[in-house]
Amino acid sequence: MRSRRRRRPGLAAFAAALGVSSILLSGCGDLSRDELNRGVESLSALAAQGELIANGVARDATKSTYARVMAKTLGGEAEHEAEKLADAEPSPEVKEERNAAVQVAGELADLFSELQTFPGDEHHGALVEGHMGEIKEQADAIVARLTGEPAQ
Amino acid sequence: VKAILKIALGIIAALGGFLDIGDLVFNTQAGALFRYDLLWAVVLGTIGIAVYAEMSGRVAAVTRRPVFDVIRMRLGFGLGLVALVASTIVNLLTIAAELGGLAIILQLLFDAEFSLFVVLAAIGLVVVVALLPFGGIERVFGYCGLIVIVFVATAIHQQPDWNDVARGFVPSLSTSWLYLYFVVGVFAAALMPYEVHFYSSGAVEERWDESSLKENRLNAAVGYALGGLLACALVVVSGYLFHPLGVRPDDLGTVALPAQGAFGETGLLLALGGMMFCVGGAAIDSSFSASYNLAQFLGWEWGRYRGPKKAPRFTFSWLVFLFLAMLIVLTGVNPVEITEYSVVFAVVALPMTYLPVLMIAGDRSFMGEHANGLISRTLGWIYFALIVVLAIAAVPLLLATNGGGG
Repeated sequence: MRSRRRRRPGLAAFAAALGVSSILLSGCGDLSRDELNRGVESLSALAAQGELIANGVARDATKSTYARVMAKTLGGEAEHEAEKLADAEPSPEVKEERNAAVQVAGELADLFSELQTFPGDEHHGALVEGHMGEIKEQADAIVARLTGEPAQ
Repeated sequence: VKAILKIALGIIAALGGFLDIGDLVFNTQAGALFRYDLLWAVVLGTIGIAVYAEMSGRVAAVTRRPVFDVIRMRLGFGLGLVALVASTIVNLLTIAAELGGLAIILQLLFDAEFSLFVVLAAIGLVVVVALLPFGGIERVFGYCGLIVIVFVATAIHQQPDWNDVARGFVPSLSTSWLYLYFVVGVFAAALMPYEVHFYSSGAVEERWDESSLKENRLNAAVGYALGGLLACALVVVSGYLFHPLGVRPDDLGTVALPAQGAFGETGLLLALGGMMFCVGGAAIDSSFSASYNLAQFLGWEWGRYRGPKKAPRFTFSWLVFLFLAMLIVLTGVNPVEITEYSVVFAVVALPMTYLPVLMIAGDRSFMGEHANGLISRTLGWIYFALIVVLAIAAVPLLLATNGGGG
């Protein structure tokens, strides 16, 4: 059995080459509908969290250090998502949605930045809460276009 | 009255010390993703840890031998060494996760550089351990950790549909890899090996004997049952608030949000404070466990009650484990990610921890009249079979779900 394997080095080399190529190629293909959908769902989830935190600020029902640190962390995640989406090459049929998603991610990062700057300001908190809700709706609308299912 | 008070205090300590960062993360994420559907897995894990903690406490009380002593004795040097290496890696990851979690909570409360809080948290733990006796450490963190009962109050305040909640306690399986991954995660988070290592070594530290068996039984049954209630509350509050919004709680700070929603700043502070004591207590438990295991395996003098002079290698190894964990967290790796990996890899090490306990606890030549009865034996073997299945499934599920990322 061992000797038969030794006589067929080409098969092992082919398998290894196939494995390596698939790993390399997986990193440089088009941004698929599924990948974009996952990214936009993350944005929607971040916006929902932002809305809850901003609600705490608006009601004066939170601790400003908590709101600031959470806004910084979640804002960083939104920024990272924006960069990821902007860097990716979208497949032609989702290009429009990708662009919309990048814009949503950018706006979301800006809102978190505002929350980070004014974590104890109830007026700002209420404004950010409202905008976060709108951003979430926009993200959900993109998901709906991508999946063909109605927005939640 | 004194005996009743002692038992009550033990229960409270077990209850408050039940939750660690793994429970906080996995139960909250389980609720956010699957609403109340995984409550049954929390109950399953809670019964499992109660069964094995009772067994390991009983073995320690009757034979004066803690778990790792038993492991070495039953598995021999070779397999025992494998168990030691596996549990040490898992313990180190767990200490790092708990220390990182503690630093995150401190950052949320005081807003300064994360790395500063990592160092302060490590120093704080050293100071606490240096100043307090073993029982004091256990009780301070146990009682103060009890503040997380705010999550039970939050669940009641939210007024969820209790029929839906009740349906979550009925076991159900799904073909979704992510669901299965969280079944493993929620179950394993309750059964982390360090918990029984610490529990049984703690029994030796507190000089339990056969007269302590009643206390052991009540601690395990009532303390862990109430601890399971806290874990269920996390699933419920998260399922109620996060699931409909599609929130994925990947940050430890998010865990406290439902309490803020229900009770404002007071709720938030109680949640963060309770989490701080739970996670801090677990950091001490897991770091002690790592040193207990090493010392017991190598035959060193060990125990907090002996002090650094009488157990220098034990004390030094404890400091080294804490230092290494601090270095891991300071590399910038996300503590929540460390938690997920430590919990899943712990599943793989679970059989090597629990099989020797099960065998010794059932051995009449060692345990005499206190050997496992029918119920303990049956439950022990059922859980062991379950643990083996999950140990086989854990890593493939981790890979298939991209570490729970879907």
